[in-house]
Amino acid sequence: MFHWLEKNPFFFSVGVFIVIAFAGLIEIVPNFAEASRPVAGLKPYSVLELAGKEVYKKDNCLSCHSQLIRPFKSETDRYGQYSLSGEYAYDRPFLWGSKRTGPDLHRVGNYRTTDWHENHMWEPTQVVPGSIMPAYKHQFTNIADIETAYAEAVTVKNVFGTPYGDEFQPSREAWEAHKPKVLAEAKAIAADMKDPGVKAAIEADEVPEIVALIAYMNRLK
Amino acid sequence: MSSLMIKALAFAAALIVATLVVVKQMNVNLDDPINQLTLLGAVAIAVLTFGVSAKYVNQMKTDKAGGELAEENWDGIGEYKNELPGGWAYSFLGTLIWTVWYFLWGYPLNAYSQIGEYNEEVKAYQTKYEEKHTNPDDATLLQMGKSIFLVQCAPCHGITGDGMNGKAHDFTARMSKEQVLDVINNGQNQLGYPMGAMPGGMATGADAEAIAEYVAGGMKGEAPAMFAACVACHGADGTGNNGMAPNIAGYDDALIKNTLTNGKKGMIGKMPSFKTMITPVQEKALTVYLQSLVQ
Repeated sequence: MFHWLEKNPFFFSVGVFIVIAFAGLIEIVPNFAEASRPVAGLKPYSVLELAGKEVYKKDNCLSCHSQLIRPFKSETDRYGQYSLSGEYAYDRPFLWGSKRTGPDLHRVGNYRTTDWHENHMWEPTQVVPGSIMPAYKHQFTNIADIETAYAEAVTVKNVFGTPYGDEFQPSREAWEAHKPKVLAEAKAIAADMKDPGVKAAIEADEVPEIVALIAYMNRLK
Repeated sequence: MSSLMIKALAFAAALIVATLVVVKQMNVNLDDPINQLTLLGAVAIAVLTFGVSAKYVNQMKTDKAGGELAEENWDGIGEYKNELPGGWAYSFLGTLIWTVWYFLWGYPLNAYSQIGEYNEEVKAYQTKYEEKHTNPDDATLLQMGKSIFLVQCAPCHGITGDGMNGKAHDFTARMSKEQVLDVINNGQNQLGYPMGAMPGGMATGADAEAIAEYVAGGMKGEAPAMFAACVACHGADGTGNNGMAPNIAGYDDALIKNTLTNGKKGMIGKMPSFKTMITPVQEKALTVYLQSLVQ
């Protein structure tokens, strides 16, 4: 019945591959598909949070901070509930990191607040004596690129089907219509901050990087 | 029996004798079942290796080809349509049965789970922790409170609990004058006390100033007249009527528990909720430690 296979090395190889890969396929693929679905209640990043994520990448927070809590008691005691794959469904790219010079940040929004971040990013040692983290004062004056963040949201919506809703369209009008929401979100965060420069920028409808970054940090829960 | 087989078995016997001599010389303890098994293994290896080799060498010398040839051949090399050897067939059947078992029961029911191991680890730890701290004494609580404070609270409130120059609440006193004034002006309803919301503006102007001065000063001396407005809920001594309203004279269990559970946004900044991170024993420990910080 299968003698023809023995005379056709190519199809024979294909058959061998399928037989050997079968166990792997039925154990790996369903689990993988299940785990990569977004967890219940997960929302895509807002435009301001995406802008903050860009700041996070640009200033290389990734080099010293991870975003993945492993299921060990020592970690969950310190950082909270262990991470699930579905929580990263809208992270493009994910920022797991692999080096913890500083603490893990995957749930930093649960135990740090806007005012703490403001003090900390301005001068880390004033809230954490002995901290070796550098100060990020430039984030208080640099302006975050919320327009590009909006473009990113539209792109991941179109390419990967991230559920952003119909108002996210690749047009100037759509952006102009959405911009006030971003500014309102930034304003709510700046209201909890003290830096006069930041407040002035927000009044002028500009979003300093620190505000976007804090929006992103607060979102990590 | 062929001469080759006799030679092979003789060689195996010689090997066994040599092994026994070594065993004797090394004073191996033969009462030990492991050593007995090892010796048995050595005998089996010697007999089987040479016996089986001799059998097949003999067979190659004497056997003639026979049986029905399969249709196809490869470069003139053909293949007989022999029956599957019995042992091989039964092992194959065995693996099929094992597959069904493994697919339906073995893997789904016994698979290793990292989360399962984590859950067991946490459960074992909790049991041990609760056993150890069913009735902790004050010294233990103070020590526990200090460690928790250093891990969970110190990043904002400072290692000494002084709030790091106004960046967070200062635990060396109950409240500063500014904090009291802020609450009087804006009210407060975040901590979930049974008494409910405190409205803003219950006292104003100089009255509010006087109350703030009195409360921030540790409630010493004579209370200002308008303090009567506070007494209704917070009590004449400011301790909050046994947990009905916040204690404004000091740190008690209810205040710590409610603040940790609900978090709070005050004039200084926002404190997140620590609901899932602190156990009841740890709350008590924190209270003891915070009480020790007040000067």
